[in-house]
Amino acid sequence: MITMKTHKVEETSSAASLEGHSALTFGAQNSLLIEHRAVRRNILLLLMLAAVSIAFLGMGSLIMSPWHVLEALFGQGSELNQFIIKSLRMERLLAAIFTGAAFSLAGCLMQTLARNRLATPGIIGIDNAAMAFAVSSIVSTGVSMAPSGMALVGAATATALAFGLSGGSGTRGYRFIVAGIGIGAIAGSITQLMLSQVNVDTANAAYPWTVGSLNARATDMVYLLGAGLLLSLIACLALSRRFALLPFSDQVITGLGEQIKKIRVAALSISVLLTGLAVAVAGPVGLVALVGPELARAMSGYRGIPLIGSALAGAFIMVLADLVGRTLLSPIELPVGIVTSIVGAPYLIWILVRRSPRN
Amino acid sequence: MIPWFNRIPAQRSLLSALVPAVFLLALSCFLSLLYGAGSIGPFEALQVLFNQGSSEAYFVVTELRLPRTLVGLFVGLSLGVAGALMQAVARNPLAEPGLLGVSAGSTFAVALALVMGASAATLTVSIAQIGALVGCFCVITAARMQGQNRDPIRLVLAGAALSSLLVALTSLLLLYDQRAADEIRFWVTGSVAGRGLDQLTAVLPSMFIAVMGTVYVARPLSSLALGEKVAIGLGHNPGRIRLIVIVCVALLVGAAVAVAGPVAFVGLVVPFAARALIGPDIRRTLWLCLPIGPMVVINADTLSRLIAQPAEMPLGVLTAIVGAPVLLAIVRARRLPTL
Repeated sequence: MITMKTHKVEETSSAASLEGHSALTFGAQNSLLIEHRAVRRNILLLLMLAAVSIAFLGMGSLIMSPWHVLEALFGQGSELNQFIIKSLRMERLLAAIFTGAAFSLAGCLMQTLARNRLATPGIIGIDNAAMAFAVSSIVSTGVSMAPSGMALVGAATATALAFGLSGGSGTRGYRFIVAGIGIGAIAGSITQLMLSQVNVDTANAAYPWTVGSLNARATDMVYLLGAGLLLSLIACLALSRRFALLPFSDQVITGLGEQIKKIRVAALSISVLLTGLAVAVAGPVGLVALVGPELARAMSGYRGIPLIGSALAGAFIMVLADLVGRTLLSPIELPVGIVTSIVGAPYLIWILVRRSPRN
Repeated sequence: MIPWFNRIPAQRSLLSALVPAVFLLALSCFLSLLYGAGSIGPFEALQVLFNQGSSEAYFVVTELRLPRTLVGLFVGLSLGVAGALMQAVARNPLAEPGLLGVSAGSTFAVALALVMGASAATLTVSIAQIGALVGCFCVITAARMQGQNRDPIRLVLAGAALSSLLVALTSLLLLYDQRAADEIRFWVTGSVAGRGLDQLTAVLPSMFIAVMGTVYVARPLSSLALGEKVAIGLGHNPGRIRLIVIVCVALLVGAAVAVAGPVAFVGLVVPFAARALIGPDIRRTLWLCLPIGPMVVINADTLSRLIAQPAEMPLGVLTAIVGAPVLLAIVRARRLPTL
């Protein structure tokens, strides 16, 4: 039996530092501290996402006004509009929202875990490995395993390799990242190899997906990703207090009575799960995982880890990028991965060459 | 007398490493002529080399395998020397033209030229070289912007980011133009198959210039390894040395990319091996890079013909599979070596 009630925190001694917070309690034992400002910013992000989603649904070969889009969404308006929105564009919108949120949330967790904002799944090669495994399941005729499952296996393999190869240094520092770059390079070249061995039609069909595209998505994978995302978000909320400890040193975490290893394994598993499922839908669109959490951090100014904010920001970026890719050079459609690379890579370079690096 | 393998690398004499390397290179060339994906086996190919054998075998060996071996020779030489120069000037053992986006710059320039109407057959080498030059300048600027307390790995990350940007821009161009995409698809993985001697002669002049530049710059570069102040004190101009090196690297990488497409990781593996054999002095390393570079490329090419018979594996794939573990090995070393 869960009773939910919100109340102002009433500790007089620490009232100053906790001002602007509410506690959300579940039963007697569990509670969640909610910062009002973070909630306001997340609502703002949600509104931005809604606005760009309506634009996304309205743009295409048949351009609709936002009013018509809303009408069609609520079951009004012409049959044609309803069909276009609900049957054609909605699935793509959902795919964009789910993949963006998944990549960005995974990136945020990985960054927190490694204490390094450059340690996103795309940079440390998890995307590429998931892609290589998924491509192997597409091109191999004998075994037709689901690409989602294979992508998960690939993501887990790459993570294990990156951890194993970075040796004693753990996830700290750049050694982990360069180990990941090496793994990513191997996985990428294996993908190239597999694509060069199959017939031209299969290679052409798989090509847009390997640069990251929402065009070749499979409906089942999108729903699978949605389910995974929902579970991960619930898990993240349930564990958010423990994840908030990750930036502290090992001694502090142990001193507060938490088991570091369990927290790390949980964060890493969620990150790998989300990345694998998202790659199976959209291919490696890894730079979303770098930019999404940054946007969330910049927006919220929140002291903790902006998990929900990252998911919302990632979804916003993905929808926007796909909207730009579809409309900018229409009728040619730019894969969303190219749009995010062109925007994300200069940002990454800028992070790297600034004189005073902040990890 | 200490045995050769027990001496520290910097004490070994250059000849004691160079002579075996050249011998191994000759052996690699020989094997590359003998083995292939087709039906002509090593014995028949051997007969051709002694002026016997069938006309079919003669054709395969002299018209298909020989140009390929020669192209591999020059591509390996260019990439090995370019890698050594780049690592010396960035003072970073991870600086590699492919990792740092120089090859990607070259590829982008070639794609741009193809989209503007050039054809892959008539493509001039200078386009690839100009692209490589731009990529070089970007990366060296990034390296210098990091200032004093630079981390070797940050440069690699910046290079990876630059690469991904340029690759994305290249894909953008290719989406525009289906014809260019078809021409470039088999070129971007990097291969020395089917390249003719005429393409080789087109790049020889610029390679000659680059080699002259390298000979001129080797001594100043080795003093730059001791730090800018020492180099200035010895009467060299660090800015000018860097400029010459960048131009040389761009000429070499551009030439290699124009002939074989982007072949990754050769520029990383070759200087790494050379340094492990005779120590960090750039003058000695460069000498040893001359035989090791072609050896790596030619052996990788021979392997790429044999692994996936009767099809062929792209050369770039094989060098990446060989090179990435070397990258990991360098990074895994307890203390990152600095140059």
